[in-house]
Formats: sequence, C-alpha cells, structure tokens
Amino acid sequence: MTPTDPGPLLSVRGLAKHFSVPSRGGRLAPASVVKAVDDVSFDLAPGETLGLVGESGSGKTTAARCILRALVPTAGEVHYRLPDGRTVDLAVLSDRALKPIRQHVQMVFQDPFSSLNPRMTVGAIVGEPLVIHGLARGSELDDRVAEILRRVGLQPEHARRYPHAFSGGQRQRIGIARALVMRPALVVCDEATSALDVSVQAQVLDLLKELQGEFRLTYLFVAHNLDVVRNFCDRVAVMRRGRIVELAPAPQIFAAPQHPYTRILLSAVPSPDPDVPMNFQVAEELARLDAAAAAVAAAAAVES
Amino acid sequence: MEPTADLPLLEVEDLRTTFTTDDGVVNAVDGVSFSLARGRTLALVGESGSGKSATAYSLLRLIQPPGRITGGRILLHSARAGTIDLTQLSDHSDLLYKVRGGMISMIFQEPMTALSPVHSVGSQIAEAILLHQHATRAEARQRTVDMLARVGLSQPEQRYDQYPHELSGGMRQRVIIAMALVCRPELLIADEPTTALDVTIQAQILGLIRTLQREIGCAVLLITHDFGVVAQVADDVAVMHHGRIVERGPVRTVLKAPQHAYTRALLDALPSRRARVA
Repeated sequence: MTPTDPGPLLSVRGLAKHFSVPSRGGRLAPASVVKAVDDVSFDLAPGETLGLVGESGSGKTTAARCILRALVPTAGEVHYRLPDGRTVDLAVLSDRALKPIRQHVQMVFQDPFSSLNPRMTVGAIVGEPLVIHGLARGSELDDRVAEILRRVGLQPEHARRYPHAFSGGQRQRIGIARALVMRPALVVCDEATSALDVSVQAQVLDLLKELQGEFRLTYLFVAHNLDVVRNFCDRVAVMRRGRIVELAPAPQIFAAPQHPYTRILLSAVPSPDPDVPMNFQVAEELARLDAAAAAVAAAAAVES
Repeated sequence: MEPTADLPLLEVEDLRTTFTTDDGVVNAVDGVSFSLARGRTLALVGESGSGKSATAYSLLRLIQPPGRITGGRILLHSARAGTIDLTQLSDHSDLLYKVRGGMISMIFQEPMTALSPVHSVGSQIAEAILLHQHATRAEARQRTVDMLARVGLSQPEQRYDQYPHELSGGMRQRVIIAMALVCRPELLIADEPTTALDVTIQAQILGLIRTLQREIGCAVLLITHDFGVVAQVADDVAVMHHGRIVERGPVRTVLKAPQHAYTRALLDALPSRRARVA
C-alpha cells in the first residue's frame, strides 16, 4: 500500500442475510432458517472489477442486494467510502441517510425487457434518477440525458422513443445509461449480460470496460457464467451456499483453482474446444466433496 | 414399406417457413437443407432469431399461424413406418400424432411450461406410453417408474405421484427427458435443453441425454446458442443465420477451422476466446 492509497472503496465484513422459512410441519412447528448469505467479507479497490460468481441459490444476488441495501442484512458491515473521504456503514444507515448515498452506488439489471418501464420514454427513464435526486431539470436535464445516451452508443434522438422500439442489446445500453447518468463510483452489475446473445454480450462487455476507464468506475459484477467473468474481472469470488469458498485474481482462479468446489465448477463448463473434454461426473464429485466436509465437521464436533 | 436402413433418418430439403405479420413477411426458415444419420447428434447453432427453433418446430409441424411451412420437404425415413414427408401430413392425421412423441420427441428449454402443473409427473409420462404403445395402466406405471429411475431420480415410486412444483429445475428436466424417451423415439429434438440450468446441473443433464441416446440408439437434433455445448456433445454442426444454414460440417472441422465469416465472428465473440480486456 502506497502512502497515498486511500484504501478500499467498499469493504464488506461478515455480511449475513438469513431468511426464516415456514416449516412444513404446521403452524406450531419452528420455522427453519436459510442462511442465504453467511459471513461474506471482501474489499473492493477503486477502479477494480470484482466478479461474484456462483450457481443459483449460492447467495451472490442476495449479497449484492444487501450491499445496495435493497435488503437489510441480518449481520455484518458494508463500509463505503464517500467522495469526501468519509466512510459510512451502509448496513445500518436509515433510509433517509441512505438516499444521498444512492447516487454514488448504481445497479445494472439482468433483464433489459422487464427492467425498463414500457410506458416511459427512454429520455424519462434515463433522466428519472436525476429528477428524483433533484440534480437537474429543464434543458440541463435534457443535455445530460443526451450526453449519456451518446456515451453508451445510442443517439440523443432515441430519448423520445419507447423501450419496445429497441433490441435487447440497445435496451441494456439504456439501462447502463440510467445507471451512469448519476455519475456513480460503484456499479453493481447483476447478470448484466446473461440475457444477451453472445455477439451482443461481447459489445456490452466492451462498452462497460470502456466506460469504466472513462468514468473511473468500480464494478461488482454478479454472474453465473464463469466464461464471462474470466476476461472481464480483476478478481473473482466464488460463492457456494452463502459463503465465499475462494477469492483470487481472475487468471489464478482459472489457471490454478485452489478450492475443490471451484475446480468442479470449472470442469463442468463446456469448452468450445472439442479437444478439451468437459466433466460429466460433477454430481458424484460434488457428493464426495460434501461427504468429506461432513466427515471433517463430525470429527471436529467429537474433538470439542 | 420400402426399406429405410440405408437412408439417413432425416432429410430436410429446402425447407421454408414464413410468418406473415403486420410489418410484412418474415422468412424465419429460408431454404434450409440438412440430413441426420441414425444415432448421430447434429447441433443447429445460432443467435436469437436465426431460425433454429423455427426449424425444429417445423419438423414436428408445431408452427402456429401466422406462421406456416411454405416449401420444401421433411423426409423421415422411419425404421418402423417407412418414409414419411412430414410437410404433406394434414394437421390432424393419425400418422402425425404417431410421429409426435412416438418416432420424434422433443424436449424444451423451460421444463415448467412443458409439464402440466395439475397432473402428477408419473401420470404425464404414463400418458405418453398409453398413447403410443400397447400397454395396460399397470404396465404403463411400471415402465414409468423404471424410466424415472433411469433418468436418475431417487425413490421413483414416490416421485411418480409428485407434482412438477415439488421438483427442482434439474429434476423437472429429468422428468421431461423421461417423457421424451420412454417411447424410444428414433429422433430426439432438444431445444436449448440446458439453457435455463446451472452449469453443474447442465453437465449432468447433457451426460444423461448422451447415455440414454446410446442406449436407445436415437438421433439427436440439438438446438443451442452455446458453442461449448456443441463442441462437447454434437458430432456435426450447422450454423444458422437469418433463416439459412451458412456453414455445416463435423464439429471439429467447423469449430477449429471455420470457413464462413459469420461463424468466425460468432466464435471470436465467445468470452473464452476474447483477449483479456485491459
């Protein structure tokens, strides 16, 4: 760390989100608790891209939502450094205290079809955050909307049209414009390219990379597709059952995965190279991994 | 009935399927030709709107108005029923009903929409047996339970009476596969069978389809957008773009030495092949 290093932009410590699920045993039976996120910690440096990967139910989206305070975490701290250098804990702030901070932290959603209001023009969609936060109006609002549309590869004239007139890739650009019009520091991308065709996905990833340099953005990139993360992220955190099982620089995760779960997960990805065979036996390997972990836990219980 | 053993199972010649909309006529399938040998796996790969699913739906005559097949032939050289041109069958012919689910079956991307929510999964599989094979209800139930075990569901007797909402996505897709293969079809059409699934579940489902394909000896037409899936499970591949096949050949040849510019562009767009973005 150099003396001028201001430290991480985001520092997550012991984050947990538990949901209580009604038991099937009737009204009087005790509810069971699902630990969707269970003791997650990581740092995010300014300008960095961290991939949060895992399968459905691994807790990656719940963790991202807790960080954005779309959900209230059960435990843990989410330290966010403001532009003036102050650090706030997003996990405990009141809704009112959160509002001004929301302009610094924005989100890009997965589904470009359901995340845009079909009754609003593109201009109204993209400009809405500025209106809500009272940051611009009138011709200044129009100018900022036109400017950001241009930056994401759309035309200022597109502001007058409605979302249905746009393709999936263009809609995702609209979603990105809406997030970036606030000039945020941190952008959480939740499966931002998962619904897109591969050629469109490549264009959107290139755009996100370009905008990152231009606006000095920090990305938390939530994805289930390991291939997408491979070349886009600086570091990757692999999640399973609410926990991070491995966190390492992206090249290391893919070239020399340390955790057996990461190895199994990677081996299940079908390679487009016919000479790199995929692993069809993942079910057996995951079962062995869990059996070994259970044996270790049982032995530890006996020790104590 | 002419012997069909020396012929490929399926020959599609200059197939054309169009959709007439307010904005004009869309040639979803625009002169597609290919053949598929018995027991082989052909992947139709392309992006959304390329016509790969419209081709698959045309084969089973599932295209609904405003769409219709406007030209070409779909020759099924069935070992059981001889040569049938599927484009010539009327919508309600007995032969078409025998083809669907009997000689050709299909599995869909989203297992929840392909299963009835109000019938037990076992009864839905047994229904296919009762429709296509001579069996009593008791025999159909037994064959269904056997098939549920073959697709890897534990406690198949109990599973028979469960409803789709009680099963996970991966288990539902196993039920769909059981339903598709229980009548031992000659051709299985799999339309994005693993796209909605996690990667570890996808590996299990692809492995299962492969194992059962070998057991039954059926050919597979795999509709997918994923070149990884193509490389790992198909023998041959046809790349579709704007309703046409732009390149076709053995998987290794097409993926390692693509000839067509569109194939090259698609392969270059794959995240794993792209250089690290600085």
